Amino acid sequence: MNTSYILRRLFYGLLLMLGVVVLNFLLIRLAPGDPAVVIAGEMGGATEEMLESIREEYGLNKPVLTQLGIYIANVAQFDLGESFFFNQPVTTLIGHRIGPTILLVITAQLLSIVLGVFLGVIAARKPNGPMSAFVSVFATIGYAVPVFWTGIMLIILFASVVPIFPVEGMQSVKLRDAGFFVKALDVLHHLILPAFTLAIIYLAQYARLSRASMLEVLGSDYIRTARAKGASEGSVLFKHALRNAALPILTVAGLQFGNLISGALLVETVFNWPGMGRLAFDSILRRDYPTIMGVLFFASFMVVVANILTDLSYRLADPRLRGR
Amino acid sequence: MSDQSVTEFKAESPALEAWRMFRRNIPAVIGVIMLMVIVGATLYGTFLYGGDPFEIVWAPHEPPGVTPEFPLGTDYLGRNIVAGMLTGGGPTLAVGLAAAALTMVIGISLGALAGYYGGWVDNLLMRITEFFQVLPALLFAMVLVTLLSPSLWTIALAIGVVSWPQTARLTRAEFLKIKELEYVTAARAIGARNKRIIWKVILPNAAPPLIVSATLTIGVAILFEAGLSFLGLGDPNVMSWGLMIGANREYILDAWWPVTFPGLAIFFTVFAVSLIGDGLNDAFNPKLRER
Amino acid sequence: MSALLEIEDLRVTFRTRYGEVTALDSVSMHVNEGETLGVVGESGCGKSITALSVMGLIPSPPGKIAGGSIRLNGEELTTASPARLRAMRGPDAAMIFQEPMTSLNPVFTVGDQIAEAIMLHQKVDKAQALKDAVALLDRVGIPSPETRAKDYPHQLSGGMRQRVMIAMAVSCRPKVLIADEPTTALDVTVQAQIFDLLNEIQRDFGVAIILITHDMGAISEMADRVAVMYAGRVIEDASADDVLDYPQHPYARGLIDCIPALGRDDHRLAEIPGVVPPLHLLGQGCAFADRCAFKQDRCTREKPLLGSHGHHPVACHGIEEARL
Repeated sequence: MNTSYILRRLFYGLLLMLGVVVLNFLLIRLAPGDPAVVIAGEMGGATEEMLESIREEYGLNKPVLTQLGIYIANVAQFDLGESFFFNQPVTTLIGHRIGPTILLVITAQLLSIVLGVFLGVIAARKPNGPMSAFVSVFATIGYAVPVFWTGIMLIILFASVVPIFPVEGMQSVKLRDAGFFVKALDVLHHLILPAFTLAIIYLAQYARLSRASMLEVLGSDYIRTARAKGASEGSVLFKHALRNAALPILTVAGLQFGNLISGALLVETVFNWPGMGRLAFDSILRRDYPTIMGVLFFASFMVVVANILTDLSYRLADPRLRGR
Repeated sequence: MSDQSVTEFKAESPALEAWRMFRRNIPAVIGVIMLMVIVGATLYGTFLYGGDPFEIVWAPHEPPGVTPEFPLGTDYLGRNIVAGMLTGGGPTLAVGLAAAALTMVIGISLGALAGYYGGWVDNLLMRITEFFQVLPALLFAMVLVTLLSPSLWTIALAIGVVSWPQTARLTRAEFLKIKELEYVTAARAIGARNKRIIWKVILPNAAPPLIVSATLTIGVAILFEAGLSFLGLGDPNVMSWGLMIGANREYILDAWWPVTFPGLAIFFTVFAVSLIGDGLNDAFNPKLRER
Repeated sequence: MSALLEIEDLRVTFRTRYGEVTALDSVSMHVNEGETLGVVGESGCGKSITALSVMGLIPSPPGKIAGGSIRLNGEELTTASPARLRAMRGPDAAMIFQEPMTSLNPVFTVGDQIAEAIMLHQKVDKAQALKDAVALLDRVGIPSPETRAKDYPHQLSGGMRQRVMIAMAVSCRPKVLIADEPTTALDVTVQAQIFDLLNEIQRDFGVAIILITHDMGAISEMADRVAVMYAGRVIEDASADDVLDYPQHPYARGLIDCIPALGRDDHRLAEIPGVVPPLHLLGQGCAFADRCAFKQDRCTREKPLLGSHGHHPVACHGIEEARL
């Protein structure tokens, strides 16, 4: 893999982010009414002085292009404006919330890929066996269940019937003064239900995808070669076949990341998980546009980063693409 | 092993062949029946059953199966859940269909142009597509709905605007494949215009995967609408399954039924749609099925 | 002395959408130590199925060995355990395939793939196995083997890849090497080089070779003995010279007539009319009857058996009766 490719990819990512900033700018102006009032938020009870200072800060009296320039310059300095509802800079607000979201999304992603691929590989060994039937039924069901409803059903189950997992929040109040290790375990304990809820849809999809991908790879000539040299069934499946079948799975994993963030938004709301999704929900109910735009910006940023990482790892995993 | 079946030649149109395959696919037929029942219930149920889903008719949190008048019980305000179930399907299905239609129109148009013309058109359209894929769909849709103020139309519009990129990619891939085939060259050779080749020659041949994709898009759009309504971003004057779940969310530990039944309704609707989608997929690709 | 590899009355069936189909029917052939057996016939006649049966690599399901025996060094393979078959692939029997382009795993270096074969059957560490792999690459005529060993398959030409396949196949000094149309996918000039290499390998390693081909030219150059197959049966079995000079079965005669010979410019190249019938449409009689110029009534009613009717064993009513 060469540096010029990485640089090109980073530059392209930067362009996409510029696009998001421009979109944010346009969306505020799309909203009916005075942009200053929109920015202050309908429920902010904005005074005339406040609106004046917003107009000043965003250059709302200047030509539109100048306004756009000012907006881009501000974002470039990580100034996404002030939330008039929370009375805090948007970047500070999001800074507190982005960690839990990343934790949730990455855990769900790993959970769904590892379990899904495992199920898919097992199913692919017998294309007409019971495991294959289970995977395709499970995938169809997983696709059809609304993620927020799965969360609610799990809350009902684990809050009253088998109370072994906490169903709300990220930390126990009573452990506020505990040591780091205990706190970390506590967070993991809280993480189980939301992460599983979010993972379950994608788990089903990865299982179906990796089953199909494995079936295709298992029919290829080089698998016959591996068998012909006496490789064991485990080595054939997990070494020779999976390394090749993983390539389409990796592509989908990259494309799914945006959907995962959308799902996280619902799951965070259901489980009161203190992340960006919950923040987006709260700020949308209050028409707190600077915060909403900030969340949109950072969520897109996460997708762009995930896409770049997927691209690079794809190139590492497939020798045919290296050095290009 | 040679396996060419000389004896199996039947002069049948591909659509008819697909229909035969589909009819024999039991899960797909179950899907069709399920969907017909659900659509029938939402279309006629309201008239036959009557009842305003917003009207408070009984004590709150009446469990299901206790009072014969309210077989599914009442919600936290004492509203009839059966009435909500029957009227709540309409908006969900309508928005799902409208949003899927919009998604397909945008996606197919842009994908067809990109795949057919290639070059800078393709480049530009694909960059736009990638840009839309970077925006987390639900979040973007929430922003759009909030800005445009929620109604069934704005929700359908928002879902369509955020969902088209996948359709565009699929259409583009099909067009790239088909435009190289002989019958397209032949159409060009007899002087057909680009517009005609795109819509009358290539598109019908790209139809099978697009029909499957359209079906699955309806399912996604229904889930999308449910998610938005659940978050309270639906039309507040229209009862929908998502809204029922969202409204009763705070009380799930006191009463499981007001959230469970509408959730099941959403699940069975999307499940039926995806069974149909899978059945269509199998019907259009009989070879895949034999594996 | 009994033969190194003995196939007796082998019957292999496949489950297809037309019901159970017999892909091999009472196939018998043998290979002696150090000799080359040519197996010829059109595509779909069962050559590759025979080879895969010996390797224990019949895709199952849908295929299965329904009867007969395969003995390698006196050991019965049709009833051997999967573990025993695995241990046997490499040190006892090895195989190279028709498609060198797809027979190597695209995500591993060729050195790694050869070293894996070595490590599967010999107690050596990775470093030693890689060293042996380089030596083997050198042996099969690959220039600068140290650097090539670090290449991925896509970086090599088709001829080079087939050399890699040969190196991998002989890495565990097999007693019998099955070459399934090893040159069909290669350029004509490269074909001769590969045949030369196989001859050298046979001389140096003392390995018996089963050469599967539809190229009678290759047979005349390589084979000591020949088995001609048609529609899942052996129809003629004799020394290469006998088959080439005195072909008995009308099908074998047709095959010989298809060889373009130098200085025979007055002849048009002959061809055999028609195609091999699909296996599920095989009837009572001789499978070749529909294409045969010497068809008699009996040919459509009764399957001819392989028997020494004349010069050498052949399965044909016509020959049988002419000699009665």
